[in-house]
Amino acid sequence: MNIVVCVKQVPEVTDAELEINREGTEILKEDLEFDINEWDNYAVEEAVLIKEAHGGKVTVVTLGDEDCEDVLRTALAMGADEAIRIDEQGFEFSDAAGIAQGLYHAVRDVPFDLLLTGAQGSDDGWAQVGLTLAELLGISYASLVVGVEIGEGTITVHRELESNTQEKVEMPLPAALTIQTGINNPRYVSIMGIQKVRRIEIKETGSKELGLSEAEIGSQGSSVASQKLSLPPVGEGAEILTGSLDEICEKTAQIIRDKGGVM
Amino acid sequence: MTPFRTSYWHIEPVWVFYLLAAVAVVVFLFGLFAHVSVWVRGIRRQTLPFSWRGISNLFLDGFLGRRIFKGDIAAGTMHLLILWGFLGLFVGTVLISVDYWVYHFLKGAFYIWYSAGLEILGLMLTAGLIWSLIRRYLQRVPRLERRFEDLAVVVFLLLVVLSGFAVEGLRLAAQRQEWARWSFVGHWLSLLWVHPQGALAAYPYLWWVHAFLSLGLIAFIPYCKLFHILAAPTSIYLENQPPQAIPVETRSPDDEVFSYRDMIFFDACTRCGRCVEVCPSTGAGEPFSPRDFIVWARENLLRKYHPLNYFTWLTRWANHRHTSEQGFDPQKIWHCTTCRACLDVCPVYVATQDAIRQARSKIIEEGIQVPSLLTQTLKNLYKYDNPWEATKKKRAQWSQDLEIPDFSETEEAEGLCYFVGCTTSMDIRAQKLARSFAWILKHVQIPFGTLGKREPCCGDIARRAGEDGLFEKQMEDCVELFDRYRIREVVTSSPHCFNTLQNEYPAFQALKPPEEQANFQVRHYTQLLRELVKVGSLWFENPLHVTVTYHDPCYLGRYNQVFDAPREVITAIPGVTLVEMAHNRANSLCCGGGGDRVWQENLDADVKMAEIRIREAEATGAEILITACPLCLIMLEDARKTTSLEHTLQVMDLNEFVQMALSLEHIPGEQSVRRR
Amino acid sequence: MDEILVLAEHRQGELRDITFEMLFAANTLGKENGLATAGLLLGHETSGLAGKLKGACDRVLVIEDPELAHYNADQYLMALETAVKDRKPLLTLIGHTAMGMDLAPAMAARLCLPLVTDCVELSLEEGRLGVLRQIYGGKINAQLVMKPSDHYLISLRTGAFDAEVEQGKSGDVETIPAPAWTNLRGRQFAGADILVSIGRGIGKPENIPLAQKFADAIGATLSCSRPVADEEWLPKSRQVGTSGKTVRPKVYIALGISGAYQHQAGMKNADTIIAVNKDPMAPIFAIAHYGIVEDLLQVLPVLTEHLATK
Repeated sequence: MNIVVCVKQVPEVTDAELEINREGTEILKEDLEFDINEWDNYAVEEAVLIKEAHGGKVTVVTLGDEDCEDVLRTALAMGADEAIRIDEQGFEFSDAAGIAQGLYHAVRDVPFDLLLTGAQGSDDGWAQVGLTLAELLGISYASLVVGVEIGEGTITVHRELESNTQEKVEMPLPAALTIQTGINNPRYVSIMGIQKVRRIEIKETGSKELGLSEAEIGSQGSSVASQKLSLPPVGEGAEILTGSLDEICEKTAQIIRDKGGVM
Repeated sequence: MTPFRTSYWHIEPVWVFYLLAAVAVVVFLFGLFAHVSVWVRGIRRQTLPFSWRGISNLFLDGFLGRRIFKGDIAAGTMHLLILWGFLGLFVGTVLISVDYWVYHFLKGAFYIWYSAGLEILGLMLTAGLIWSLIRRYLQRVPRLERRFEDLAVVVFLLLVVLSGFAVEGLRLAAQRQEWARWSFVGHWLSLLWVHPQGALAAYPYLWWVHAFLSLGLIAFIPYCKLFHILAAPTSIYLENQPPQAIPVETRSPDDEVFSYRDMIFFDACTRCGRCVEVCPSTGAGEPFSPRDFIVWARENLLRKYHPLNYFTWLTRWANHRHTSEQGFDPQKIWHCTTCRACLDVCPVYVATQDAIRQARSKIIEEGIQVPSLLTQTLKNLYKYDNPWEATKKKRAQWSQDLEIPDFSETEEAEGLCYFVGCTTSMDIRAQKLARSFAWILKHVQIPFGTLGKREPCCGDIARRAGEDGLFEKQMEDCVELFDRYRIREVVTSSPHCFNTLQNEYPAFQALKPPEEQANFQVRHYTQLLRELVKVGSLWFENPLHVTVTYHDPCYLGRYNQVFDAPREVITAIPGVTLVEMAHNRANSLCCGGGGDRVWQENLDADVKMAEIRIREAEATGAEILITACPLCLIMLEDARKTTSLEHTLQVMDLNEFVQMALSLEHIPGEQSVRRR
Repeated sequence: MDEILVLAEHRQGELRDITFEMLFAANTLGKENGLATAGLLLGHETSGLAGKLKGACDRVLVIEDPELAHYNADQYLMALETAVKDRKPLLTLIGHTAMGMDLAPAMAARLCLPLVTDCVELSLEEGRLGVLRQIYGGKINAQLVMKPSDHYLISLRTGAFDAEVEQGKSGDVETIPAPAWTNLRGRQFAGADILVSIGRGIGKPENIPLAQKFADAIGATLSCSRPVADEEWLPKSRQVGTSGKTVRPKVYIALGISGAYQHQAGMKNADTIIAVNKDPMAPIFAIAHYGIVEDLLQVLPVLTEHLATK
């Protein structure tokens, strides 16, 4: 079972106070720490788990600058076997479709049975690349996967739906899956672990080597004409529900129903 | 007639005995070899320096059983009876060989003394063995296990000594020597045999039984817990050999995580269960005990490195029932709070907390079974240099309005560097102690500063988790920073930082060339406060009439023997009554926050250890529970809420208490501490 | 070209709120720009649903086929393609839901359409589509202007628009013939599970029955996260997945959790966080959307009662 995993490096923003550049096109990244996209981390772990159970090879692919080798090293330390980096030159201001094009050209010649990506990125949150890639490759896919069972030439996956429901779908291999968080427990990557894989060579490629034209990728290939960033108004914390216990619970029950917490 | 010793009296053929003896020795040596072949796999292979302390420990702990007596006089006496009985009889037997082969000296008055002495030793051994059976099976001392091995070893020994007496009795009955009455037990037994001929007929058979049992015992030693006869003295000697620092980059993936020292410690363990009694995790009803871990580690190592792997059937069989019933899940090593209570009571100095840390480093390296919240914590530590929040910016927020010099913004640090620590910097409750400490330092006009938001994590959390690569990185960051701002004097709020800077750094620093080594001194704030009290710069004008109790943080007390400093500061405040909890000083009970347990998710619904501790504090009748560690403060503060003691007991850091005492305005009459 | 197509989302015979939220957005945008709205209903035996849609859009388009009885990407994509080719709308709206996330990117790739996902606001100015998205976990707003196109595909975030859509319209129901199901890739629906997971917030095993009743009221099986299984408060078989974690729940109810950093990891992604804690100063209230300052052991039974009596 050979598996390709597409991963992405993203800035960590959970507890960060974000600032935007003067032009309003980008957030300021100087003070931010970068790491593998959370969803992709689960995808790499899932790939390694499947490899450990069924054999085969895991190849990780990313699209980004040289600093992004860190996420490939992380994936290698987790148990991936090979790594490919597509240089981001030419891909600046690509939309999700452009990124998918780059990945498509890089992975179409890699033999695989399963292609995994994270369900979405924690930065732009397009939730688009994985399935676009599946469509470009013309293979079956499932999104928001929280469980995988490998069969004979087929795969059964659990998809996470709303209200804590799941559905099971079955499809033939090769297939593409976008992995939802919580599917597994991604292993810890220690400094010792990273040191062990420092000698594995990372294959490098770029838009030119992949035969992509400027019209397909970057701002030319993007369907977005412009993007302007702004900071949303700050929330005010919890709205404290008041009243008698009974009243409070009635309100709460209503909120749970309204927000889709009840089947 | 001069009394003399008869050897191989009516025993034939003697060569069979020597053959059997040779077999026994070979079996013994092979067992020893098996253990040694495990030991040599240990990662640390430094030479063994000679140590007088080791020798004196050997005498005090080994021969006199000092640590077995500690807290359990019955066990100590019982063990001494067995130890001295066994040792004496062993020496006695060696003397027989010397007498037979080298020089015949067991004669005359000396032989009389010798005979009588051996009788006493035999009786001691018998009494000790029977007592041990009573303790284990009749008294059923709770800490003792009742495995097959435990019974087998004692019964075996008992059979050897009883058969010895019986053989002697038969011999004396047959020989009827006049000096026999000095061998008073044998003599008394011999009186049971009226017919010398009958005794003579039975004697050789029983002699062979005794010989067979004795040789069997020798052969059996390395295959059961009797191996502690060899391993325990070794580990006692090794106790003060400091564990060597093994930098991550010098390790290879196949390296064993344990050092040969740890492995000898494991082999020295007799499962006496003292650690189980004091382990706070076990005490809180958690599925962990140091003993289970040690036994698991020992069996695993034997299984892994035994020269004839299949030959371990003996050990395996002896432990089979126990292991299959309650096998140790390696995942449970995350329960250990590294409080070191087990080491304090262990008769053979098994440093479980160190071994646990090393076992954790293997899990960290493999990465698969790391508790997920700890994974998150370690990632935060790597990226943001603190375990609490994914940002570096908030580190200095506690001091925003205090105008404390930031050494990292100066060329050269002037004065004391207050190393605040992650928890004290980030946790809302713990921040108060930093503010109090800063207030006190200003009050006594001591120049000091901090490293502001550039203060790194000292590496303690990574070290406890076994993430040694991260620990080393953070240590280097710290040392580099101290060096850059010429910081020479450091004082910490957390005993954990203190311990790491004081005890963990030096071994690694020692590997570097002298000019690159760290050059700073570190103290815990309690030590500084005590000094200030002593020199008279910290004094309390107004009395504070309050009863308090003090909780010893593990990393301050047991790890660094700082028991008196905080107490002296507390009692320097007039009016304060300090009462002690049931567990205090070296006996202190862990709050449950150490060993990275604060950062593990399966533990936060369960503040049992801290609850047990806070109940002890409550039982003293104290109004305030004082501690000197931010983690203890958080844990105990939580426990105070969950046990609904909010209105009867306050939890304070010593800094807060001192600040309160210093801020008192003199009001004649009563002082209420709750007027905060 | 002058139509906004809205893919109605339904499950177990009920139209989901997102459908009306999309119709609300479509009708608003349609009114401003002179576009008609059409609800597209894919399914089997959906006449009841069509009736409920009628009032909220100008046209109800129905593709009926047994193949569409359950949502499945293969068939839905083909049906959508058929409908889009038939109607040539300017804008197709899909919910950014488990279904929409599964459908929109593939459809965009297949039909070479510009796609913007997870939008919270829409506008049309001089034929150019503008959308507002929230990125970096909601910390940044991104206002996008799209390049000109004659067909945009947009997925809308749930809850971004009002579900109380005006019911003034009376759309005709038109049936579009189902496509011939050729070239399906073999993905098949194979069943559904309902789960609700409890974590360590429950406190002690004696409280499990309270949680069980609560789960019953929500209509789910009580399962648990790893720590709870580790403590053996619930059997190991009740553990969900490897980590036992159901991340990104719709509603996260934090029962007696103070909200110190270590608690937050599992719930950050929840759309709605309701915190119950007796300590009014608990940090959880800073990140929760709703807070109840009460003892959870008192809240749970009453809350369960209220959920039971709808």
